[in-house]
Amino acid sequence: MPVINVTVNGTRYEENVSERLLLVDFLRDQLALTGTHVGCTYEGVCGACTIHLDGEAVKSCLMLAVQADGHTLTTIEGLGGDKLSPLQQAFTDNHSLHCGFCTPGILMNMSEFLRDNPDPSDDEIRRGLVGNLCRCTGYVHIVRAVREAARVMREQG
Amino acid sequence: MFPARIQEYLRPRSVAEALAAITRYDAGDAIFLAGGQSAMQAIKSRMLRPQCVVDLQGIAELKGVSVSNGALTIGAMTRYVEIAGHGQLDGAFAALRDATSHVGDRQVRNRGTIGGSVCWNYVAACTPTVVLALAGAMNLAAADGSQRSVAADDFFLGPLETARRDDEILLSVSWPAPPPRTGSAYKKWGLVTDALPVIGVAVTVTLDAAGQCSAARIALAGLADGAQRGKLGEAKLVGSRGETAAIDAAMGAIADAADAHSDMSADADYRKQLIRSLGREVATRAFDRARG
Ligand SMILES: Cc1cc2nc3c(=O)[nH]c(=O)nc-3n(C[C@H](O)[C@H](O)[C@H](O)COP(=O)(O)OP(=O)(O)OC[C@H]3O[C@@H](n4cnc5c(N)ncnc54)[C@H](O)[C@@H]3O)c2cc1C
Repeated sequence: MPVINVTVNGTRYEENVSERLLLVDFLRDQLALTGTHVGCTYEGVCGACTIHLDGEAVKSCLMLAVQADGHTLTTIEGLGGDKLSPLQQAFTDNHSLHCGFCTPGILMNMSEFLRDNPDPSDDEIRRGLVGNLCRCTGYVHIVRAVREAARVMREQG
Repeated sequence: MFPARIQEYLRPRSVAEALAAITRYDAGDAIFLAGGQSAMQAIKSRMLRPQCVVDLQGIAELKGVSVSNGALTIGAMTRYVEIAGHGQLDGAFAALRDATSHVGDRQVRNRGTIGGSVCWNYVAACTPTVVLALAGAMNLAAADGSQRSVAADDFFLGPLETARRDDEILLSVSWPAPPPRTGSAYKKWGLVTDALPVIGVAVTVTLDAAGQCSAARIALAGLADGAQRGKLGEAKLVGSRGETAAIDAAMGAIADAADAHSDMSADADYRKQLIRSLGREVATRAFDRARG
């Protein structure tokens, strides 16, 4: 079985993985980082499994764990640290989650989005969210939270 | 859905190593993995059952966009996000940006590559259609050291079929410097924002000094036999100045003759209407870009 070296949320791991293990299952089952969700049948259509690979938002169900060897990953568990990130806080303040299942993927996608685009229009936010399905709150509150987080982050510099 | 057993995973550092790896297996038993945005789905559904996965992510020579004296080369492992954000793909190459900035979603664009897209040649895909309209050349290398360049017209053979042999790697897609006053555009319509095209239309036109169209290529996505030229319409654009009547006549000729199918997404008449309406918008934009 191959050995992989990955850094996840700042911690280095050296792990044995079978070649066919999906990255999302590695994170959930082997590292017990269950904040990364699986919302579709691993087809890459729901976005709930979105994580950062070397800082970029990707769907972890469309990668093998072996592909992450040598890379740096961030999952939802690594987003905030001791206190909530401005984006997480804005989701709480704006009632932007209901069942919460899609939320980790949306936060991982939008945190990268805001880094590249610190002052997005609503239309840009909506386009940025295309890869993440939410099936209960609707997107209005999510868009509102992303907009507010962008403002807070700009003000904080 | 979980992948079937994979015996070996390799991450070569060079094209030569990748080709050496692929030829250690019987044809089709080892596959190249680019962004995995199509291949991983196929592996999980067992449409592909590779014994060996040769991951191309570590091969620097396959990455990047280079523009030199107007000629354009895009490495096979260049991702959508990099093409969409490239500052020099205007005018003649603008259709590449139109397409890559709307493929799927941000996460897909962060991984998916031009090489994977053209080698997969999905029945309804954006990039093969644009590469066809832009007359790109696919540059392939084989393990015996030979290289060849295949024109888009000869490369795309039908849904999931290309002229690439299993033991060949795609190095890049390239174009010579386009003639002056060339413009291109692409647009699709899908069921949700940035979805796979129900219909997509790509157009390239070149104008002479007097503003008359001297060459045109039109390609369609979303018909049952995959990315294809709309030659009937091309002939009608040549000689025109991009007047709406001429564009409508061109797109109408393509729509009337198109072997459009009906499915859950759209019926045949709707597909034909999309060819007309998207066609008008896209061709108009291509003419505008050619005028500069
Ligand atoms: C949610 C979602 C939405 C999508 N929406 C769209 C859309 O709107 N429009 C659209 O056009 N597509 C869409 N796609 C498909 C997407 O464009 C894929 O990324 C693309 O088809 C494959 O590129 P890849 O780099 O991911 O290749 P992979 O999936 O890794 O590989 C695809 C195939 O190409 C072969 N291959 C890859 N690179 C090479 C090479 N250098 N040499 C030889 N063979 C090679 C592989 O062996 C494999 O058979 C979508 C996909 C997803 C998951």
